[in-house]
Amino acid sequence: MIARISYAFRETWASFKRNVTLTMAAVITSAVSLLLVGSTFLIQRAFDNLLTRWKGDVELIVYVRSDADVNQIQVIEDALNSQPAVIDVSKLRYLDQAESYAEAQKLFAGDPGTLRLLTPENIPSQFKVVPISQDSNLIRELGEQFRSLAGVREVAYAQDVFDVVARVSQFIRIATTAMSIVLLVVAVGLIWNTIRTAMFARRREIEVMKLVGATNWFIRIPFMLEGLMQGLIGGVLSCLGLWGLNTAWSNAVADFNDTELAALVVTDGYMRFVMFILLGIGAIAGAVGSGIAATRFLDV
Amino acid sequence: MIRLENVTKTYGTEIPAVRDASFEVAKGEFVFMVGPSGSGKSTLLRLMNRQEQPERGAVWVAGKDINEMSDSKVPYLRRNIGNIFQDYKLLLNKTVFENVAFALEVIGRPKHVIRQQVPAVLDLVGLSDKEDRFPHQLSGGEQQRVSIARAFVNRPLILLADEPTGNLDPATGEGIMRLLDRINTTGTTVVMATHDQRIVNMMRRRVVQLDRGVIVRDQERGVYD
Repeated sequence: MIARISYAFRETWASFKRNVTLTMAAVITSAVSLLLVGSTFLIQRAFDNLLTRWKGDVELIVYVRSDADVNQIQVIEDALNSQPAVIDVSKLRYLDQAESYAEAQKLFAGDPGTLRLLTPENIPSQFKVVPISQDSNLIRELGEQFRSLAGVREVAYAQDVFDVVARVSQFIRIATTAMSIVLLVVAVGLIWNTIRTAMFARRREIEVMKLVGATNWFIRIPFMLEGLMQGLIGGVLSCLGLWGLNTAWSNAVADFNDTELAALVVTDGYMRFVMFILLGIGAIAGAVGSGIAATRFLDV
Repeated sequence: MIRLENVTKTYGTEIPAVRDASFEVAKGEFVFMVGPSGSGKSTLLRLMNRQEQPERGAVWVAGKDINEMSDSKVPYLRRNIGNIFQDYKLLLNKTVFENVAFALEVIGRPKHVIRQQVPAVLDLVGLSDKEDRFPHQLSGGEQQRVSIARAFVNRPLILLADEPTGNLDPATGEGIMRLLDRINTTGTTVVMATHDQRIVNMMRRRVVQLDRGVIVRDQERGVYD
């Protein structure tokens, strides 16, 4: 068994050296395509953070002062419920301070300074309002009425950010997804071609192997391992690139304090998750490309 | 050991390379297959280790119908069959020792077995002192001896030789022939395709003659013509 494993790795390494140019091309292409895949994930996540307040057709948010008492909150709720013509009362949602604090973690991901100042005690709780009426002027008028209530700290409208951001995010999502799919296909094709070339270079050896009774898997595995390694190395490179990009972006965002941009940042946990996904996709792409090649070109 | 039953093999739409061939080779026998180029000798050999499959008929090797067995079993069949070719098919970037060891390595034999069996078989073919040479540093006869060592190192039941003396001068060819004869006396069945009349006449073994894909003669202790 050990003899077989060391054989496979020796052959893989020898083939790498033999085919430096093609191997580099395959590795770089997979790295670039995976980088794009990773960026798609991160950009998407960043926009999700930005829009997280407005999920579920929420158009209006009434922020309640953190020092408001139970009665004041009740007054606001009653006032909202008294407008069934404009507001979809059944979808009215109240986020208490703990829930609002959890949401803020995403919203201010890129702004640790602000985040540090917030606590579950001093954060405003909020009413999320889904309107029935499509008339934005009507909604705005209603919002202004609430602003004057005792417990209300502030009223925010989705319209101010949501529409533009949603459209931009949609466009970027489609564009980057399409590009990463195309590049991934190219990467698989390049790995396929590299392995095919490697097999062609060793066709005499393969012929002898088959004649002396080596199993197909024994012949195939070094080639598949080679493709797998190319995909994985591409994955590692893309992770490094993505990490660099994300760090640079986060630093840049931190310089614009107190803007909506603060939400456009991804946390370390999610970054690790994306890196893990990229390594996985890289390995799969390599295994698929080389697997197809190794199966198709084994007949000599 | 080997039995062909009414075997027909056609390449493409042309006339059959082998037509309705039937014969049997007993264990430990030595058989020459003779006939001009294109008469189907090589095809018959390729049918015996399932490099080719016939359109009709059956090929039995060591008690098994080899065209009935699944693809995944074929490697294990081939471990019982050694192959020798006119052009040796040695790996040029490997030494004599490595070429022979390769045959054991790729069927997963452990290192200590390789270290023991390779020198033994190199001794048998008379190349003990050339273990570390590369093929291009050897004469044609020596290269063929390496290829025989590689075919025999796993002690196969059967040895298939396709024109093994085809590229060699008569004296060297005779040496190779004596080596194959010696291997045959250890109990290994040998089937050898050749059109080397001198060698066939010298050995006086069974001769199967082919003409345009048809067996036209099968004679014990025969001569070429």
